[in-house]
Amino acid sequence: MTTQAPQCPFHGKSRTGIDARLEDNLSPYQPPPASPDGAGYPTADWVDVAALTADPYPTYARLQAESPVAWVPQLNRFLVTSYDGCHAIEQDQEIFSANVSGATMTRAIGSRPMLRKDDPEHSVDRAPVNPVLRPKSINEVWGPVFERNAETYLDRMAEVGSGETDLNRDYAAPLASRNLIDLLGLKDVSVEQVRRWSHDFIAGMGNVLDDQSIWDRCDTSTKEADRLLKELIPYYRQNPDASMVSAWANSGLPASNVAANVKLTISGGMNEPQHMVTNMVWALSQNPEQRAQVLADPSLWAAVFDEAVRWQSPIGMYPRQTTRETVLEGVRIPAGAGIGVVVAAANRDAAHFGRSAPAFDIHRPKRPHLAFGSGVHLCAGHWTAKTSIGQIAVPKAYQRFPGLRLDETRSESWDGWVFRGLTSLPVTWN
Amino acid sequence: MPSVTYTQPDGSQQTLEVKEGTTLMRAAVSNGIDGIIGECGGQAMCATCHVYVRPEYADALPGMSDDEDEMLDCATAERLDRSRLACQIRIDAELAEIVVDIPPAQL
Repeated sequence: MTTQAPQCPFHGKSRTGIDARLEDNLSPYQPPPASPDGAGYPTADWVDVAALTADPYPTYARLQAESPVAWVPQLNRFLVTSYDGCHAIEQDQEIFSANVSGATMTRAIGSRPMLRKDDPEHSVDRAPVNPVLRPKSINEVWGPVFERNAETYLDRMAEVGSGETDLNRDYAAPLASRNLIDLLGLKDVSVEQVRRWSHDFIAGMGNVLDDQSIWDRCDTSTKEADRLLKELIPYYRQNPDASMVSAWANSGLPASNVAANVKLTISGGMNEPQHMVTNMVWALSQNPEQRAQVLADPSLWAAVFDEAVRWQSPIGMYPRQTTRETVLEGVRIPAGAGIGVVVAAANRDAAHFGRSAPAFDIHRPKRPHLAFGSGVHLCAGHWTAKTSIGQIAVPKAYQRFPGLRLDETRSESWDGWVFRGLTSLPVTWN
Repeated sequence: MPSVTYTQPDGSQQTLEVKEGTTLMRAAVSNGIDGIIGECGGQAMCATCHVYVRPEYADALPGMSDDEDEMLDCATAERLDRSRLACQIRIDAELAEIVVDIPPAQL
């Protein structure tokens, strides 16, 4: 079942095939003509967006084998699927800019957030919240909050019952929303309301078809969030605390920057932690030996999290745009070209992780992966995710329900490639 | 030009000529020095550019911020008195030459 059809908030590109094709007509960037003598860049015209959405990994494997930097006409961009290629892009924000063409993100949340800025502009927005999101604050201040929230929704699971619970619906989704509300410091909002905001912002950012009903939803949520922030920013200037909104409110940034980045956080800080809860439980259910090992030795939880985020990366692809002609992994790329940095593919690149790359193995030799990005845009919430999900939400679920596993009498569903995760995960524990 | 020498855990050394203003992390990552990852791009958010600075260069180093101090506690390899984050050390006129040891692990 695919009840949610979110669109990617980070680049304004729909992840459905129909929308992606239509978007070609709207994109400001026109691809250069294919080289008639074959000396130009490789083209992967066989890429099928519907197949990517259903299961992207076969497509990624073929792209890596044939042309890890390839022009994909259906997506109107180059896809980069090798680890080295993705890593090189992240090391050079002068050539590979995060400030990509297309204004749906700005339209959706009111102004350009840090994720669409390069340094030094980006770091001005980002630096104020880094102290909130470093390990000390996350463990000491927020760890107890994340633990309390996990207990709340484990109680809900117990009420729903073994064999009836959907781990996504009953635990991962509300817990991700509650944790985000607390960490941001939002007040007088419900878990459902902030989930709706998140979904609406995501829909608005992907509204390349200019669907007025999506803009209406998005505008309603933007107005609600802005109204709240209009009160919260002065409140936190008078009453600072350890939350993200407080850090931004007291940073000297204009209120419009604060609001844009709070709304970015609401958009992007919900799906990924949610997906990591279900990814980890799914992976351990598929690999009972490793499940037994981590339940016997809780120090392995960090490795379970890290391997799960590599193996089924919740953010599969994000965009960059070239500022000038360049050569990447031997492929000439023109100026102004759209680039899809396919970190989910890079995270299974055999050239980097060895031939076992497609397997889930918590004991694999430690190698850097790109699930959180790399470089200045490295996910600001990476310590938060490792702690709130990897050390708290999932271990606590197994403590409460030691038999927790997939309910094989009901089917789970995966969806997406730009964002990929379980949209439903029926579980049992008896 | 200033020089930076990176010593691997096996004792092998690589010396880079580095422009003033470059950090030890950026120079290493740009030149493919193994064992320095620099995941967060130099924001003191990840502790994957941990190095041990040879004591004879300690006096020429910039002071340590609270952020760097906090992150060094999260480094994978043992923190020593001479531990620093390579992203927080910038090559400049005060520091025309430095030798660092790369720890056995960053992850």
